[in-house]
Amino acid sequence: MREGAFITLTNGFKDKLFRLAKRLLVSKEEAEDATQEVLLKLWRNKSKMAEYKNVEAFAMTMTKNYCYDKLKAKETGNLKIVHSNYKDEQPSLQRQVEARDSLDWVGKIMDSLPEQQRMIIQLRDIEQYNNPEIAEMLGINETAVRVALSRGRKKIREALLKKHNYGVV
Amino acid sequence: MELSNIEKLLEKYFEGETTISEEKELKVYFTRETVPTHLERYKDLFQFFSKESTITATKDLKLKTQRKTRYAWVGVAASVVLIAGMFLTNQPPKPDKNLGTYEDPEIALEETKKILNMVSQYMNEGKQELVYLKEFENTKNKFIK
Repeated sequence: MREGAFITLTNGFKDKLFRLAKRLLVSKEEAEDATQEVLLKLWRNKSKMAEYKNVEAFAMTMTKNYCYDKLKAKETGNLKIVHSNYKDEQPSLQRQVEARDSLDWVGKIMDSLPEQQRMIIQLRDIEQYNNPEIAEMLGINETAVRVALSRGRKKIREALLKKHNYGVV
Repeated sequence: MELSNIEKLLEKYFEGETTISEEKELKVYFTRETVPTHLERYKDLFQFFSKESTITATKDLKLKTQRKTRYAWVGVAASVVLIAGMFLTNQPPKPDKNLGTYEDPEIALEETKKILNMVSQYMNEGKQELVYLKEFENTKNKFIK
């Protein structure tokens, strides 16, 4: 496979890999690195690419594993995830700021979920994969996906409710 | 869409039983400007999902091309040649096996004599030059008594 063809192929799901990595690793820079790393690995094994049933799902699984490794390495290294995702500040109306602020709340709530629930919500609600696809990517069965999805969503709802009623999370 | 329908969908959504297309409907519904107050809090959630799906990676993928690995081989080859070259040129010269040994003792005696004669001849020639040293002695004795 030529370089161009590979890039066109991966461009279809590159952003999905990035978003998944960002959801798990939080830091944008680390997520970028993870995406690069996964795509390079895929490129190096391009000769085996024809054997994969679904390259996209395979790449997602690779990303998940890569991020888990990173997170594990961090835990043992006793390092904290530092995230400095400063938004570029464009002059905006008060309402827009407020809106973005409350959207950030949702992000924060989501990042406080356990990794698996976070990942499943990411894949389902943001990337819109269906349950069988998610089950394949994560190597778990569909029932487990549905249960985790429901639990995660309910947790988010509770947190949102609290925030809505008391303004705290 | 009817409000009761949306509420039903939401309930299903939190049970994880909605289909992808039903979830899309919810997303569309909650990205509208006006939503009834009791559903206001879900607006953030669905808007967040829509917003998150638009984030893109900014770094471009750079693939390491084949050329680089070819250069790496050149480097390896060069260092091998260098090291090999060092070992080959640094070998000490082999000692000369021919020491001029004579098999016949008579000839050996003659040759030794010849060489010893030559040495003494040179010695005598050298000694003649030393005559001048005597002059130093004489001159010294003149002054220092």
